[in-house]
Amino acid sequence: MEPIILTSDLKKIYRIGKVEVPALRGVDLVVPEGEFVAVAGPSGCGKSTLLHVLGGLTAPTSGKVLVDGNDFSAMNDADRTRFRRHKIGFVFQRFNLLPTLTARNNIAIAQHIQGNGFNPHRFQAIVEMLGIQGKLNHRPYALSGGEQQRVAIARAVICEPKILLADEPTGNLDSENSQIVLNMLRGLNRSFRQTILMITHNPDAAALADRVLRMRDGRMLLD
Amino acid sequence: METKMVISNLLHRPTRTIISILAVAIEVGLVMLTVGMTTGMLSETARRVEGIGADIIVQPPGASFLMGFTPAPMPIKIGDLLEEKVEHVAHVLPVLILMNVGVGVNIVFGINREQFDAVTGGFVFHSGGWFTGPDDIIVDDLYAKAGHLKVGQKLTLFSHSFRITGIVEHGKGARLFIPLQTDEELNQTQDKASIFFVKCTDPGYTDDAISGIRQFLPTYPVRSMAEYTSLYSSNNLPALNTFIEALICIALTIGFLVIFLSMYTTITERTREIGILKSLGASKSYIMSLILREAATICVLGIAAGEVGTLGARRVLQSSFPTLAVRLTPHWMVYAAVLAMGGTVLGAVYPALRAASLDPVDALAYE
Ligand SMILES: Nc1ncnc2c1ncn2[C@@H]1O[C@H](COP(=O)(O)OP(=O)(O)O)[C@@H](O)[C@H]1O
Ligand SMILES: [Mg+2]
Repeated sequence: MEPIILTSDLKKIYRIGKVEVPALRGVDLVVPEGEFVAVAGPSGCGKSTLLHVLGGLTAPTSGKVLVDGNDFSAMNDADRTRFRRHKIGFVFQRFNLLPTLTARNNIAIAQHIQGNGFNPHRFQAIVEMLGIQGKLNHRPYALSGGEQQRVAIARAVICEPKILLADEPTGNLDSENSQIVLNMLRGLNRSFRQTILMITHNPDAAALADRVLRMRDGRMLLD
Repeated sequence: METKMVISNLLHRPTRTIISILAVAIEVGLVMLTVGMTTGMLSETARRVEGIGADIIVQPPGASFLMGFTPAPMPIKIGDLLEEKVEHVAHVLPVLILMNVGVGVNIVFGINREQFDAVTGGFVFHSGGWFTGPDDIIVDDLYAKAGHLKVGQKLTLFSHSFRITGIVEHGKGARLFIPLQTDEELNQTQDKASIFFVKCTDPGYTDDAISGIRQFLPTYPVRSMAEYTSLYSSNNLPALNTFIEALICIALTIGFLVIFLSMYTTITERTREIGILKSLGASKSYIMSLILREAATICVLGIAAGEVGTLGARRVLQSSFPTLAVRLTPHWMVYAAVLAMGGTVLGAVYPALRAASLDPVDALAYE
């Protein structure tokens, strides 16, 4: 079967004025559908950049990127936005909920942007699985970090994305909440065969994944 | 859903929302009051001239249609001649007009009782009665109300002390009336009039009478009452039109700038939120429409507040300044609203474009 993520010699160079910052220096990556992959590595080695490229938030500088059959070299900004809308769910270290909306609306807005309208069955299933039924009418400031991150996960998966991209999802959580969130990601992967690419510094988190990739200086380390 | 977002954003920053709404309200109010006061003043003046009840108006050559801007008055004899010689002319009322520039500009009519009554059908007195001496003055009820004046009180005009002998129902040309002769003395003229109000034997003969008068006075502007009052529009007063346009421009600029600043700062403040929406796959047009809707909501609330506020302001103005006419037409209420909406959209477009073109990675990293 064709892998859902395939990159070869993927490079990403940031330009800050005249200075070039090579964040990815040739990444080769293959992820089959349904796999739960953890990415580890020192700070600044390009993990977040890799996630942003795979999620279509930013364009690669060179190299091949194929995600769910989409060739990034042939995609412009609007194409990548559409791709992201239909195939990607993001979870961030800082939760990134919209502060003025309730938990329910934070989840619903993803469905709204996707354009398929509100799906009550999917909504109910996700909300129950993440254990946030009682928190739906709260705004983010009235939720604990763990609760906010669970709402963020619900928002990320509500539209059934092909890939869930999580950037240090437990980085701002205590160990108890980290464990809850990790178990939920594991559960999503198990019960929905959700493909997950998760960046983490946390050895417990990495241990939960099917596979751990290590990065350094913009490249994957072979083990 | 977008509506929910817009409303929650507006409620989240109540001060900014209220200030922006207020700015739009002031913009709308400024336009409506300016136009309302100028058109009100003009149409009220026209109605007052109409109230004289004449059929034809004769002015000296070169005179502006605006009463009071008359270069050289005409001999009163002309009026007598018209009355005698022109067919269908029943009565002629000569008036010598003075302008009193005090609190506001007031037109003073110098009149003779007999001719005034013949053309207008006479005053309706609220109190008091006609002049009995040269230093007497008649004022209309609105002028009296504005100045809290009573019959018997003194009133100084043109450094001349008058005694109020009568307070009359408004609507007969001017608000202030003095004896023609006194007027002539103040004006240092004799047997002169600035305007003739002509009454026909029957209104049906107006056109014939006009031709008759024109034969007599070929260089004098002779107009029917309808034609004359139709001149009282800002289109015939280029300076006034320019003034109105300038004020509308200022109002529009205020609205534009406030919306621009309000939306611009809110975009900066919400950079991360925009990044979040982009990470969820929101397109440029989605984000633009969100910003424009927010601005439009502010604008609609501002228009409503502005129009209600203007209606309220008019009530207050008219009870404290009875001589002030403020005319608010539906046409101008719609026009003010359209102008405000135009200014808002213009003000919001650039911030919206900026928000839509933010780089999602940078926006998400924004502190
Ligand atoms: N938007 C950006 N502009 C410029 N340089 C960036 C940007 N994002 C990341 N970088 C640089 O790219 C390198 C990789 O960053 P990142 O992908 O965030 O690493 P990690 O997530 O592994 O800590 C770093 O040197 C960082 O400074
Ligand atoms: Mg990172």
